[in-house]
Amino acid sequence: MADPARVKPVVGVSEAPAERPTQSEGSRDAPGSSGKVSEPAAVQSTTREQGKAVSPSRSAEEAAAAGEEEDGSSSLHPPPAKKLKVEHDKKKEKRHKVDEDEIQKMQVLVSSFSEEQLNRYEMYRRAAFPKAAIKRLIQSITGSSVSQNVVIAMSGIAKVFAGEIVEEALDVCEKWGDTPPLQPKHMREAVRRLKSREQVPNTKHKKILFH
Amino acid sequence: MAEEEDDPGFDEDLDDGGNGVDSGQGKRKRLFSKELRCMMYGFGDDQNPYTESVDILEDLVIEFITEMTHRAMSIGRQGRVQVEDIVFLIRKDPRKFARVKDLLTMNEELKKARKAFDEANYGS
Repeated sequence: MADPARVKPVVGVSEAPAERPTQSEGSRDAPGSSGKVSEPAAVQSTTREQGKAVSPSRSAEEAAAAGEEEDGSSSLHPPPAKKLKVEHDKKKEKRHKVDEDEIQKMQVLVSSFSEEQLNRYEMYRRAAFPKAAIKRLIQSITGSSVSQNVVIAMSGIAKVFAGEIVEEALDVCEKWGDTPPLQPKHMREAVRRLKSREQVPNTKHKKILFH
Repeated sequence: MAEEEDDPGFDEDLDDGGNGVDSGQGKRKRLFSKELRCMMYGFGDDQNPYTESVDILEDLVIEFITEMTHRAMSIGRQGRVQVEDIVFLIRKDPRKFARVKDLLTMNEELKKARKAFDEANYGS
């Protein structure tokens, strides 16, 4: 599996990964799918950071491949567990690097905001539904108490939902040639569009097959 | 229950904030007016959004929460709402799913940090 993006940054080691993965994929059967999932992530991280994070993940991969070839011949029990653990560590490392990257990009972006944009961003981050009211609402529906995690999850989802509606309504508003304070007609059209995409849950209308 | 979007006289006749008059949802007090205004500004609306729009959004959010709660009660352990049920219901929507995972992970981390901090204080 030749990854052109991966071959570029580190020249000396390029032949080894090209060989090893093909051999190890032959020996892997169950973790084969997870192996393929980690490949695209590796390509992404290498294209983003030119060789900075490549060497540790590459050496871990080589060690894994080398370990597989050695153990595969002797016994079958240690390899699967070792494979899974090393893959998990690789994934964690890549995720960590991707997070750091994203944090840096966000910092650069926020530092270049105008004052109005900063205000809006602050409101975007801070606005939240009051946990007490959400808890009361859910408990009035279920009749029994709910855990704190449920309240946290529900208020988070409700905020994302509100955001989806407002964004769609802003699209509608722009499309109809109107200006920002959103009017009810924009909101209703936004809901209609989201409903057709099934993003607004609705179990009131009974769908009859072959009506 | 009549949906607000289908009720024609709802928005046109309403001049005041919609508190005294029967505004389509019964005489329920507005629960999230302040927070929703800030939220709408954060998501891109004007700094002073229309009250009618805020009302519509509040009704939609309450309907959404009600719907999710009913669905969560009907799956998993019946009659109770648990986090796993919510995560299961949300699985097809990538944004909400990622958000819930992030929130729960961050909550766990904060709890651990608080616990470690308290233990450190207790020790000294």
